[in-house]
Amino acid sequence: MTAVKTTETAAPAGDNTPPALPPAVTGGTPRRRRRGGAFDRALPYLLLAPALIAILWLIGFPVVSVVVTSFRQLNLGELVRGEIVWTGIDNYVTVLQDDRFWTVSLRTVVFTVAVVGVSVGAGLLIALMMRVLSPWVRIALQIAMLCAWAMPILASTTVYQWMFDQNYGILNKTLVQLGFDSYAGYSWFSSGTSTLSVVGLLIVWQAIPFLAFSLYAGLVGIPRDLYEAAGIDGATGWQTFRAVTWPEIRSLLMMVTFLSTLWDFKVFAQIWVFREGGPSGESTTLPVLQYLEGIAKSHFGVAAAISVLMMVILGLITFQYLRRLLKTEEGKL
Amino acid sequence: MKKTAANTAGVLLALFFLFPTYWMITSALKPKGSALTSDYDLVPLAVTFSNFVNAWTKPGFLSSLGNSLLVTLTAVVAAIIVGITAAVAMSRFAFRGRKSFVLLMLVAQMAPFEALLIPMFLMMRDLQLYEHLSSLVLVYFAVTLPFCAWTLRGFVNGIPVELEEAAMVDGCGRWGAFQKVTLPLLGPGLVATSVFAFITAWNEFLFAKVLIRSQDRETLPVWLSGFQTAFGTDWGGAMAASVLFTVPALVFFLIVQRKMVAGVTAGAVKG
Repeated sequence: MTAVKTTETAAPAGDNTPPALPPAVTGGTPRRRRRGGAFDRALPYLLLAPALIAILWLIGFPVVSVVVTSFRQLNLGELVRGEIVWTGIDNYVTVLQDDRFWTVSLRTVVFTVAVVGVSVGAGLLIALMMRVLSPWVRIALQIAMLCAWAMPILASTTVYQWMFDQNYGILNKTLVQLGFDSYAGYSWFSSGTSTLSVVGLLIVWQAIPFLAFSLYAGLVGIPRDLYEAAGIDGATGWQTFRAVTWPEIRSLLMMVTFLSTLWDFKVFAQIWVFREGGPSGESTTLPVLQYLEGIAKSHFGVAAAISVLMMVILGLITFQYLRRLLKTEEGKL
Repeated sequence: MKKTAANTAGVLLALFFLFPTYWMITSALKPKGSALTSDYDLVPLAVTFSNFVNAWTKPGFLSSLGNSLLVTLTAVVAAIIVGITAAVAMSRFAFRGRKSFVLLMLVAQMAPFEALLIPMFLMMRDLQLYEHLSSLVLVYFAVTLPFCAWTLRGFVNGIPVELEEAAMVDGCGRWGAFQKVTLPLLGPGLVATSVFAFITAWNEFLFAKVLIRSQDRETLPVWLSGFQTAFGTDWGGAMAASVLFTVPALVFFLIVQRKMVAGVTAGAVKG
């Protein structure tokens, strides 16, 4: 990576070092520097302490706390009085018996799968396409994608609201210009499906740049002679893709798919800002439901149960992702 | 033939990705009143900066901009400082428990913060930090710290330990060697990592909405999400505010654009 390059250019600074110091001088292997002193032995722990305390306090404690809270009855009354009422698994029973929870969960899964599928698929296609584009078109496309990627979520959400505006939005105006007169004054947010489609388009639009850039970086790394060899063997475009590109890019594709799934499952801002999960709750996903139960209605116990269920799903995806990451070179501990 | 088709598709895609940015800027530049028209106005005919003045002077814009900058910068500086010390410990020292700590960092980096909304809310309330910007600083610090420590560890690993040892042979103390050798070489990595962290915190919406209710303490994303209170149907003003919100992120983004891909997929590329 970049840091490596930096060191190479800066290497002359260390010129006066003999190329290989005898082990006695460096104190055994380069990493081991235990030279006695209690301070030296304590130093790594002292350096780690702030980070460790922060993580245990601000991440570890909330994780435990959310599980504990999910077994309590905790509404505004209990919160104000500071009462602790244990209810066992009541919150889970409430949540799991609620039809709305299952509708919302199913919707969240379908939404996530659709958004991840479209964005990863389109990202891969664009990455493949970038290799055959003329340099100028490629640079133009890359700049355009950077603009989409860099826009803060709330700014892009506001712009999309304006573009999809019922009366003066540019989309409806364009459709009318093209002869689809029924789109004059058409509301894109009259149903949950339609609202989530617009949200999905927004998310896909902002997710593709990252995916296309990382996959393109992976594609550029494939040795050229593999393609030359395939060409000599008379492979067609599809055969080349299957035999050369796919095996080289498969693990990278899996990684970005896992990451996208994690990110898209947790989407809150875009959905909330468009219609606050509406109309009539039809675009509510799990993170929105958690917010509505917990913060809007102050049912903290029930919301904590929803959070725990969300964490279980996200945890399973994360586990798979980390397992793969740890197998790669960079992930080595 | 095939190349022409690909290039055409490439140009169309570029337009697709660019259009919202284009539309945001041109809508912001249109004179008041000419945004809300049924005329077909893909290209602005007159240009004005009054929307920017208008957005800039809207109640809440400046204070929320200030709040966003304050919260984001404080959290990122704290995360970078704590992150560096942890990164140096992880990559330069051999000690009992190092592996488990590195693993903890990696797992913490993937922590689903959105699912920790309820306990965070309750905790900030118990700490009497609810409605205080410091609660957001703590959350953003926690969100960005594992990422900073993990990424900086990669950058420190990239600096040969021999350089530090040479400095120590030449009479530098451990701190001197770090300060004079490692820290300067870490520069680019520090910039990239802090920009990443900055953008994460700059974008954050859920916690900013939940932990802060009073208007004079809200951050820019929350202020912009309620733009209809401030702007009504004044889309030109809303777009101008969006442009002002985008500029810092875009500038930082362009600085580290190349490192971005490498940073996020670190590890995946070598698969």
